[in-house]
Amino acid sequence: MKRLRTLLVAAGMTFASADSLASDFKVIANSSVKEDTISAEQIKRVYLEEDKALADGVHVVPVLEKDGPVHEAFVRRYLGVSQEDLQAYYRTLLFTGRGSMPKALASDEEVVAYVARTRGAIGYVSGAASTDGVKTLAIGDTSNATARRLMIRIEPDYPETLKRMNIGGTVRLRVLISAKGNVEEVRALGGNPILCESAARAVKKWVYAAASSRTVTEVSILFDGHGPDIR
Amino acid sequence: MHRRILGLVVACFLLGPLTLRAQDFKVFDRDVQVHGFASQGLVYTNTNNWLTMDSNQGSAGYTDFGVNMSTNLTDNLHVGAQLYDRNLGQLGKYHPSLDWAVADYRYRSWLGFRVGKVKTTLGLYTDSQDLDFLRVFALLPQSIYPTDIRDATIAHLGGDVYGSVSLKHRLGDLSYTVYAGHRSDSIHSGYPYLLSQFGTIFTSFGGLQYGADLRWNTPVKGLLVGASRLDQDTTGKGTGLLDPLNPALGTIPYSEFSKSDWTNQYYGEYTHGKLRIDSEYRRYYRDQVIFSGTSENPDDVRGWYVSGSYRIAKRFELGSYYSRYTITSIIEGALASEGFPSQTDTSLPANHVYDKVITGRVDLKNFWNVKVEGHFMNGYGSSTYPDGFYPQQNPQGFTPNTNALVVKTGVNF
Repeated sequence: MKRLRTLLVAAGMTFASADSLASDFKVIANSSVKEDTISAEQIKRVYLEEDKALADGVHVVPVLEKDGPVHEAFVRRYLGVSQEDLQAYYRTLLFTGRGSMPKALASDEEVVAYVARTRGAIGYVSGAASTDGVKTLAIGDTSNATARRLMIRIEPDYPETLKRMNIGGTVRLRVLISAKGNVEEVRALGGNPILCESAARAVKKWVYAAASSRTVTEVSILFDGHGPDIR
Repeated sequence: MHRRILGLVVACFLLGPLTLRAQDFKVFDRDVQVHGFASQGLVYTNTNNWLTMDSNQGSAGYTDFGVNMSTNLTDNLHVGAQLYDRNLGQLGKYHPSLDWAVADYRYRSWLGFRVGKVKTTLGLYTDSQDLDFLRVFALLPQSIYPTDIRDATIAHLGGDVYGSVSLKHRLGDLSYTVYAGHRSDSIHSGYPYLLSQFGTIFTSFGGLQYGADLRWNTPVKGLLVGASRLDQDTTGKGTGLLDPLNPALGTIPYSEFSKSDWTNQYYGEYTHGKLRIDSEYRRYYRDQVIFSGTSENPDDVRGWYVSGSYRIAKRFELGSYYSRYTITSIIEGALASEGFPSQTDTSLPANHVYDKVITGRVDLKNFWNVKVEGHFMNGYGSSTYPDGFYPQQNPQGFTPNTNALVVKTGVNF
C-alpha cells in the first residue's frame, strides 16, 4: 500500500437522474445498446446526429415522438431548442445532404414497439409508459457534477507482481450509485484489465452521500509505482 | 405569370386538409426517404426592376422547387441526391440541376468525409440559402447571400472533411469543415446574364473552389460564432464581341480567368427562446482577367447585415434586418482605354445597396407558409459584378431608391 498512489477524479462526469425528470419521461433503448446510462450531452449529440454511437461503440438511431407534452419537455430539456427550431435543424440536414429526418412516431406505444425491434434505437416515452421489451437508460445531467460526495473510500490493492514489474497507469471506471449511496455497479471503461479488476473491487465498497435518485459517475484511478504514499 | 402563383395557392388549399408527408419506403431493408419543397414568389417594386424580373409591373417569375432521396447504406454511410430547379426572372429558366449528390461517411463525431457534389459551407446560410421555409425571411440579406449569383457558392464537385469536438472545461463545441472541389455555374446564372449586356455569351463558367469553416458553439447558451474562408480559381469561356463598345465588328471566342478570388466571412448567431439574432460580415475580393485577356477587373465587395426575428405565436413570426452592401470596381487595360469607368466611391448609389427589411411569416400548416416582406433600398450597385439590379431590365437607367414588396408562399414535405 505504501507505494500505491491513487488519484481519484470523480468530478469529471457525474450524472444525476432527477426524479422530477424521470417522472416526466424515460429514455429507452433497444437491447443491443450495451450502455445502461446516457448523459445529457450524449442525448443532445445523438439527437442532433453528431454522434452515431455511444461509448460502447453500438450504432444508435434516435427516434422522436411527433408532438405532445413529453416530446416538448424532452426537446426543451435535452436539446435546448424549441420544436420549431429542431424541425428547422433536421430539415437543414435533410435538404443539404447532411443527414436524415429521424423517425417520428405518434405515441409511446409506437415508440416502444419501434425501439424494441430496431437495433440501436433510442427513444423517449412518458414516465408512466410500459417499457416491456426495451431497456430504460438512466439519464445523466452534467450540470449536477458535484452532487454526490464520497463518504467512504477504500483504496484499491496494487497487485505485487505488477508493482514489481513497474506496470501501472490509469484505469477508468463507470460507477452506478444508488440513491442511498451504495455502489450498485462498476464497469471498466479503460486501463489494464488486472488493475481495473482491483480498482473495481475497491470501488464497490465505496459509499457516497445519499441523494434523491441513482446517479452515475466516472472515476479515474492512477496506479503509479513510483508514488510514495496513498493520497 | 400570375397563373403560376394562383395555381400554387389553389393546390395548397386543396392540400390543406391533407398533410403533406415524406415518402418513406424500404429498399433491401434500408429506409429510403423522399422529401421535397416548392415555393412561389410575387415581387413588386415601385421604381427599378430587381433581380432580373420586371418587378415594376409586378412579377411572379420567382419559382423554385427541389426533391431529394436519401438513405443510410451502412451505420456510418449516408447517401443521397437532390434535384433543384428554379426560375428567377431571366435566371434559372427552369433548367434543372443536380443540387447535391453526396456519399457521407461519418467515422467518428470528430471526423467525417463527404464526397460527390457537396453543398459549400460558407457562413451561416450558404448551404441552405434556397430553403426559405427554414426561416422567416423570403429573401436572405442580399449583401451576403445574393440570390442572383447563388451558383457562385452553392456547391462543389469534390469532397469535405468535417467533424465536431466538445471542448474541455465546458467551453462548448467546435465544428470544422475543410473542402475542395470544382464549382460549375449555370450559364443561366447572374454573372453570365450581366455580361450578356456586352454581347458575351458564356458556354461554361466555373473552376476550383476550396476553403474551410470553423464554428464555435460557445458556453453561452444559444450563442454561435464562426469564420469561413473560400478561395476560387474560375474560368469562363464562350463568345464575345470583338469590341464591346462596337458590336458591328462581330464576335470572337471569349475567355476570362481569375487572378485572385477569395472570400472571408465572419458570423454570429444568438437564439434565446423565440428570439433569433444573426449577424454576418463578408468581404469578397475578385481580380478577374476579362475580355480574353485584354482587360482586368478587380472588384472589392463588402457586405454585412444584422437580423432579428421573433416567433410571436406558434404559427406567426416577425423579422427584420438591415443589410449593407458596397462595391468598388476597377477597370484596367483595353476597356479602360476605351473609356469604361472604374467605380470607387461607395457613397454613390451606383456602388452600394442599403436594404431595410421587415417580414411577417404565417405557417398555415406545418408544411405550408406564407410570407410578406417589405424592402426599402437605397442604391442599386450596378457595376461589373451582379448585385441585384441589371441594366438589361432598367434600360432607362436607375433611380437611387427602390421599395419592394415580396409575397412568397412555399410548401415542404
